[in-house]
Amino acid sequence: MSMTSTVPRHRGGSTIAWALVGPTLVLLIAFNVFPLLYNVVLSFTNRELVGDDSRWIGTANYTRVFGDPLFASALRRTALFVLCAVGAELLLGFALALALVREFKLKRTVLAVVLVPMMLSPAVMGLFWALILNGNYGVVNQVLGSIGLPQPQWLTDRDLKFWSVVVIDVWMWTPFMALIALAGLSAIPPHLYEAAEIDRATRWRVFARITLPMTAPLLGLAVLLRATDALKQFDLVMATAGPNDAATQTLSTLLYQTVFRDGKIGLGAAFACVVLVVVIALATVFTRYLDHLRRARET
Amino acid sequence: MKRSLALSLSFLLAAACAGLTACSKDPATPASASGAAAAPSIRVWWFQWAPADGLQELGREFQKETGIEVVVEQIPLGSYQEKVFLEFGAARTRFDILIGDSQWIGRGATKGLYVDLTEWLPTVVDLASIHPRAAKYLCEYPEGSGKWFAAPCETDAVGVAYRKDWFEDPAEKQAFQAQYGRALEVPQSWDDFQQVAEFFQRPDAKRYGCSLPSDRSYDGLTMGVQNLLWAFGGRWHAEDSNKVVGELDTPGSVAGVEFYKKLLKLGPNGAERMDYGQVLESFTNGSTAMILNYFAFFPGIQQHFGDKVGFAVVPAHDGKRVASLGGQGMSISTRIPPEQVELSKRFIAWFMQRKVQEQWITKPAGFTANADILKSAEFRAKTPYNAPFAESVDSMQDFWNVPVFNELLTVTQRYVGMAVDGEMPTADALKQLAIEKERILKEAGLL
Repeated sequence: MSMTSTVPRHRGGSTIAWALVGPTLVLLIAFNVFPLLYNVVLSFTNRELVGDDSRWIGTANYTRVFGDPLFASALRRTALFVLCAVGAELLLGFALALALVREFKLKRTVLAVVLVPMMLSPAVMGLFWALILNGNYGVVNQVLGSIGLPQPQWLTDRDLKFWSVVVIDVWMWTPFMALIALAGLSAIPPHLYEAAEIDRATRWRVFARITLPMTAPLLGLAVLLRATDALKQFDLVMATAGPNDAATQTLSTLLYQTVFRDGKIGLGAAFACVVLVVVIALATVFTRYLDHLRRARET
Repeated sequence: MKRSLALSLSFLLAAACAGLTACSKDPATPASASGAAAAPSIRVWWFQWAPADGLQELGREFQKETGIEVVVEQIPLGSYQEKVFLEFGAARTRFDILIGDSQWIGRGATKGLYVDLTEWLPTVVDLASIHPRAAKYLCEYPEGSGKWFAAPCETDAVGVAYRKDWFEDPAEKQAFQAQYGRALEVPQSWDDFQQVAEFFQRPDAKRYGCSLPSDRSYDGLTMGVQNLLWAFGGRWHAEDSNKVVGELDTPGSVAGVEFYKKLLKLGPNGAERMDYGQVLESFTNGSTAMILNYFAFFPGIQQHFGDKVGFAVVPAHDGKRVASLGGQGMSISTRIPPEQVELSKRFIAWFMQRKVQEQWITKPAGFTANADILKSAEFRAKTPYNAPFAESVDSMQDFWNVPVFNELLTVTQRYVGMAVDGEMPTADALKQLAIEKERILKEAGLL
């Protein structure tokens, strides 16, 4: 095939490609890029939800964000939430995947049931859990009471409410980790295990040298996805504790409180910019780590 | 050429999408809002509760008389505030009349959201007929300034509902007399209230002393605690200014919050964080002796329990009794066409007539601000809760209603919550709260 015959076809393909991708690009610019840039502009103003007296105030909002103890505590709490929830989900999800990787009777049914929590709406699940954990008439305390055990105030006790939200998140998203880990485990070539068996490798050695390294990239990806999602934790906190509870307030609920309750659009925009930078930084660290794992595997 | 054609095609597609989105008309959008010529109508926004049904019934009466349709849209309370203020961001609000929380009036008045009714309102209603406390807190901004931004719609205050059948049970009366050396009666003071709550607190029998609003998500805890804060001699700010430091962080305020903290221990599990609905539920499920809640909820309780329930004003401390104000005024949105403003004024003028106010009080939880009706023996005798309600109006007081009330509410909920939860000593929490409040007020130019 000559070059002269391929070039026009390439150009035609490019035109069609632009025609297909163009509308999406326009929509992306209109609904993602423009709002992002506009948000940055707003963060330098004292714009409020209502009223037209907005003016440029320089970096005052950022000074407020970094000097605000609420922001610092929400940031710490969000970090703790990500660490604990995603960590527990990773461990439990991987353990669940190891249990589910072998063939057994009703495996498909068990798998379907296990995956149910992650398919449900977090807001609806938050409301359900608020009922389940209600200190007075919740089913958990009713059961505990009926067998003579103490009935903790899961959602009102200041030492417990944060951990209750963590547990709900773990319940919801462990199946996601399990699903990804299962995909990783299923992709390990069986001959590696056969070779290990011939070499009489111990179970721990097989796990540490084959199973874990082979699934690590996919697990890393799952952690990245869950961590960025957990950083934005909103639904469960809103449904169980509301946006203004000192013990459970995350960055997203603080942002909601600032913008929609207090009406401080400019300050909220500055909060959002800082949160975005944190998320991007975290995502960069993770993706670099994943690249490192991929390269290590290739060599 | 082909490339530019493709780009043009892309933009056309995007524009078509955007156009379709813009043209998809919200089915709830009133004809008046879309500008189409249709029968005149007014859209009212209020939160979802029984009085809104009553107002809708009155709206139908208004339609019979004038041909102007009144639609009362009920928005769930949890998202009402957000929906309303997001709506004010639009060039044309979907409501003509807003029945807004009393605390919003400063924001509505100073941000140009509510129509100034100062000149017009006296031409349709005798302002002296409106109870001065309802006028001050529900309608005027600044409080008592004579500048009106709302007409009173639902006047409300916090009161006490109690299990009359338990209070009248001879065995309970005898046991109470033996334990405390006095008769079991409706509490007149907060100390009495605590004793009665202690007496009925029997978790093993699933019977509890009292439930009080203590929710942290909006204003529950603040609206509950301030009944005691004021009664114990505390205050949110100075009488004649917005000064907070040295005014809020006083022994009186600390004593009020500390007492509230004690009362929360005399309730069902989870009593330290109950919203108004949960407080109500703890009573209607038959487990709790007394609750503190808004009178607007009491007709439902009365319907549920019949003569087994009684109602009373909030208790006093050293003779000082203050009830936390509830209720809302009717304001006209500035973001509507002039003809809609005129229609809205016609409805408000009709609603404020004495004969309509007399109809209003027959609706579920339709509580009037008409001083003459409130004073009348006929009104007080009509239901078991009318008399204590009328008495409460005389002592009711409101939280801040300055434009930054929400920020003040946020920090109040937070620091009082920390005090109640024992995360911070009450005196320290109130001291910190006072500093935070002054910072917010200074930033807003109000101090």
